[in-house]
Order: sequence, then structure tokens, then C-alpha cells
Amino acid sequence: MAGPTTFTVEVLTPEGDVFSGDVVQLSTRTVVGEIGILANHVPVMAALRPNLLRLKISESETREWAQAHGVLQVFASHAQLLVEEAHPVDQLDLGALEEQKSDAEARIADPETGKGSREAAERDLERIDVFLELARGA
Amino acid sequence: MANRKEVNNRISSVKNIRQITRAMEMVAAARLRRAENRIAQLRPYAKAMRRMTRRAAEEAGTVQHVPILDEREKVSKLGILLVTGDRGLAGAFNANILREGLRLRDQAHAEGQEVVFFVVGRRGDGALTFRKQTINGSWTGFTDRPAFTDAREIGEALSAAYVDGDVDRVEVVYNRYVSPLTQYVHRLTMLPVQEAEVVGEGVEALTGSDGEMAEPDSDLAEAHSHSFWDYEPDAEELLATVIPDYVDISLYRTLLESAASELGARMTAMRSAAENAETMIDDLTLEMNRVRQAEITQEILEVVGGAEALG
Repeated sequence: MAGPTTFTVEVLTPEGDVFSGDVVQLSTRTVVGEIGILANHVPVMAALRPNLLRLKISESETREWAQAHGVLQVFASHAQLLVEEAHPVDQLDLGALEEQKSDAEARIADPETGKGSREAAERDLERIDVFLELARGA
Repeated sequence: MANRKEVNNRISSVKNIRQITRAMEMVAAARLRRAENRIAQLRPYAKAMRRMTRRAAEEAGTVQHVPILDEREKVSKLGILLVTGDRGLAGAFNANILREGLRLRDQAHAEGQEVVFFVVGRRGDGALTFRKQTINGSWTGFTDRPAFTDAREIGEALSAAYVDGDVDRVEVVYNRYVSPLTQYVHRLTMLPVQEAEVVGEGVEALTGSDGEMAEPDSDLAEAHSHSFWDYEPDAEELLATVIPDYVDISLYRTLLESAASELGARMTAMRSAAENAETMIDDLTLEMNRVRQAEITQEILEVVGGAEALG
């Protein structure tokens, strides 16, 4: 019996590519909600939010990363993810994340913080919270 | 004339210097290769990002209102980000940046603008503090190996300062990397983000001057524009979320280029230091021989003098 249909996925970060190869299913979260991509998906372009990025490579093998904000593009059975960061979940540094969290929270709480800084801090916090949750689960 | 011991001491200390500078040259060379690799690794990401942005911009037709795209009519506060290194011993690497930064400051003052300094690297931070300049943001400790998260941190701070009206324009002064032997001081307008940079042909900030990404993408681009796409959220909003990333990516690129330039400059500086030490060792060895010769001559004269006195 032929195996499940696969499609190619590329996960790129500014610091280099994290993954490139054939997968059965890709799942992550866009600004609209959870998304799962299989082969022959319609062309899509989506803004990604921090989440667990899961690539099912075969029935027995699944790879996972903690993924920051980014963009996803699927076209002609080729998916490209541009993410700011992608770390294997077990490599997240719990201590450092907690420090970043209190820093971001302090920036949000500070009444002196301007609108621009607050938006940046909120965006940071969203990522840090997701990473923290993943790190604690790992 | 110096005696033999003194000259010998000098020779051995200069030999030590030669060894140290050689080692530093070698270390810089090895790190430079890695820094060059990191620049190369950013390329596919920046290229793909650019392609997606253009796709979304075509679909959206107009660019939504994004505060960091707004050009201010009157610039009363100019932000200057100086990208220096954490360490010295790299020739004119840090000094050039400072000189250009201060020149820019004087020019801005002449035009009646206020100047707000931001700085990357301990060297620049120290030099500006010494000159009693107010520094609004300083980031240090990573200049020989910048991570994207460093760039994002700086990008967020600069964008926030822009949005909150603390600055009306941000110029970045950094060493652009050409080759291990050539780096030059370059100035780039980081904020406001140039709309042409994002959706048009200009790609300097993301790609450097190689223009590699300016070429159109084969047939795929054609196929792209004829197929039916889903956008989440709609193209206009998507575009608005991607634009801030441009600041982070182009900052990351300047940090990488600056790191490579620093290592290149250090390599060159250390090579010429090692060569100078070499010349010095040759001169000192010559002098050492001369001193020895003089001593022998002296001794012979003394022996001959003594013999004559006896005879």
C-alpha cells in the first residue's frame, strides 16, 4: 500500500533553516485559529502566532518546535513558514523565559510606557507565555 | 649603546607580541568565516519574506495605515543608532562609526534638530558616555555574534520610540561588509520604513547591495498571481503585520554585517601588527649582532693592548 501523500515543508528563520523535507501534516496556529495543512491544500497565506509547530513526517515520526510569530505560505504542495524563532521544545530555557516574562509584564504595568512600547511588550508577552507553557509541559 | 641583555629582552617581548597578534588574527579569521555564513543564512528567509510581502501587497492594492510607514513632514528629533563593537583592537572600526555619528549630530544641530543617540556595542557606549552624550538606548554583549532576538529587541525599541514621537526619523550608522579587507561606513534610514523598500523594487535594507533579490522569480510568480488564494487575515491586514518585521530583519542584517566587518577589521589590524613585529624583530636581531660584534672587538682590542703593554 502506498504511504500517505506528502508535501514539502520549509521552516525558515533569520538564523537559518530549521527544517526542510516531506511531511504528511503540518499544524500550528494562525491569527484566525488552529490550522492543519495536508497535501494539496488550497493556496494560503497566513500570519502565524506563537504556538507549538508540529510536523508529522510519517505515521511514527512527528517533530515539534516552539514557534514565534511568523508567516505561512502554502502553494502547489509546498509550504513555507517564515518564523522569527523556532526552538526544539526541550531546548527552551525556563529560567530565562520567566525572567523575560516579568520584564515584559513590568513594561506593560509601567504607566510611563508609551503606546508603541506597550504594543511591543504585549507581543513579547504573547510569545513568552506560549514558550513558557511549552517548556513546562516538556 | 644598549647591552646584549637589554636587546635580548626586547627581542623576546616583541616575539611574544608577534605570537599573540598572530593568534588573534587566526581567531578573527575563523570567526569571520562563521559570520559570513550567518549572513548567507539570512538570505533565503529575507528573500521568501520579500516574495510573500509583494504577493500580499499585490492582492491588497493599498497599504494599510501602519504608523512606522508615516513620513513626518518636519523632523525635529533625529535618532541616530551607532553600531560599534564590544571590543577594540580592530583598527579604525569603532572610530569611523563614532566620527560619522558625531558628524551627523553636528549636521542635525546645524539644521536645528535635536539628536537622540542609540548605541550598539560597548565601545560606542563608552565613547558617547565619555563625551557626555545622552544615550537613549544601549545594547551590548553580543556584537561578535548577534542573534535575531537581539535585533528584534532593538527594532522594537526603535519602532516604539518612533510611534510614541520620541524620534521623527532614525538613521543607522554601521560598517558595511564587503570583504575581509574592505568595510566602509554606511548610513541607512531605518525609520520611517520606506514603502518602496517593502512593496517595490528597492531592497537595500534587506539584501545589501548585491541586488540578488531584485530579480523577478521565475514562472512561479506568474502562477502565483493567477491562482486563488486564501488570506488569514485579509491581505491588507496581513501586510500590516509583516511590515514591522522589516525593521527587525534589516537591523539583524546590519548587526551581522557589522560583526563580519569587525572581525575583518581585527584580522587585518592584527596581521599588520604581526608583520610590524616581524620587522622589529629583524631590526633588533641586527642590532643584537652589532652589539655582540662590538663587544668582541672591544675584547680583542683589550687583549692586544695588554700584550703590547707587556711587550
